[in-house]
Amino acid sequence: MLRLDKVLTRLLGWGCLGLLTACLSGNQNLGPVALNSRTTDEQPALSGDGRYLAVVSDRNGGRNILLYDLRQRQFITLPRLNRPDAIAENPSLSRTARYIVYIASDRGKPEVELYDRATQRVEVLSTGYRGWVRNPSISPDGRYIAFETSRRGQWDIEVFDRGPGIELDIAPGAPP
Amino acid sequence: MVPKKRHPLTLTLLLSLTTLLGGCTGAGQLLNFPFDPIGGQSLNSMGSDLSPAVSGRYLAFASDRRGSQDIYLFDLTTRRLVDVPGLNALDMLAADPAVAEDGQTIVFTGSRQGRTGIYLYDRTTRQLRLLTSGLEAEVRHPSISADGRTIAFQAAINGQWDVLVYDRNGRPLRVGELGP
Repeated sequence: MLRLDKVLTRLLGWGCLGLLTACLSGNQNLGPVALNSRTTDEQPALSGDGRYLAVVSDRNGGRNILLYDLRQRQFITLPRLNRPDAIAENPSLSRTARYIVYIASDRGKPEVELYDRATQRVEVLSTGYRGWVRNPSISPDGRYIAFETSRRGQWDIEVFDRGPGIELDIAPGAPP
Repeated sequence: MVPKKRHPLTLTLLLSLTTLLGGCTGAGQLLNFPFDPIGGQSLNSMGSDLSPAVSGRYLAFASDRRGSQDIYLFDLTTRRLVDVPGLNALDMLAADPAVAEDGQTIVFTGSRQGRTGIYLYDRTTRQLRLLTSGLEAEVRHPSISADGRTIAFQAAINGQWDVLVYDRNGRPLRVGELGP
């Protein structure tokens, strides 16, 4: 004969398990999210492979760079890229969006910064550079960065070579 | 005065330290492209040289070096401008270029008779095509994937900027809103 408390415990157990699976699956299968919001979404930049799209958006109260996966139709978090005391603008992406270059303004002057999604680290590329900088663009392999400079008293273009020692952004499965 | 003799070990240590530091911080460098103030055949000129977009060996940019703002294509390997016949029109102000990795496709914003459009230039066929002919909105800032098949740009829709994604034939990809 089954005892009542045993049945209750078993029921409670199954209930908890059901709740847990519901939570887990809910986190894993987020539905698609729209790219555009009711605020400004601008300065789009496609990754070399065409899968990712960086945009500058006002949606979260600040002016931030967001990364959207066009295949999964979801946003990808970029820890430590957007800072509450800085404006981030003019994004550009490498082939698989591993590297993001952009302009950040939080030191009194705009700087060209490089964000590496693999390490989640920000590197300031224009430290010590004399002159105003704008509109950076990174090559799909992640090695070259072109940007606008005011150094000669007019807008000119400068190209920065990160050097042969960097990890190139190569698509998975592609020949090196 | 007798010059102070430096210990060779100190020198070696100093040298190795500098190389070490150099390896850590001096990994990148600015490339030096010739400045051509008269002929306008290089990357930089006496005019404004704007909005660089680098992809593979090519760099597309906008410049007003010949009196009107046009799009130019620079080859980083040969360090010369590449001919783009049929890209720049006399009555159009061109801005914000982007280039595919093989240098064959260039997209940009063109302003003509008070209207802006996203244009696609094919260097193989020398054809210029308006991608946004069906779109009643101001447009700006196109970006192209490395294979030249996907184009994203911003458009003034419902009183604010939104981002649209098209294929190279001007067909919209439905990502801006939640669709089927």
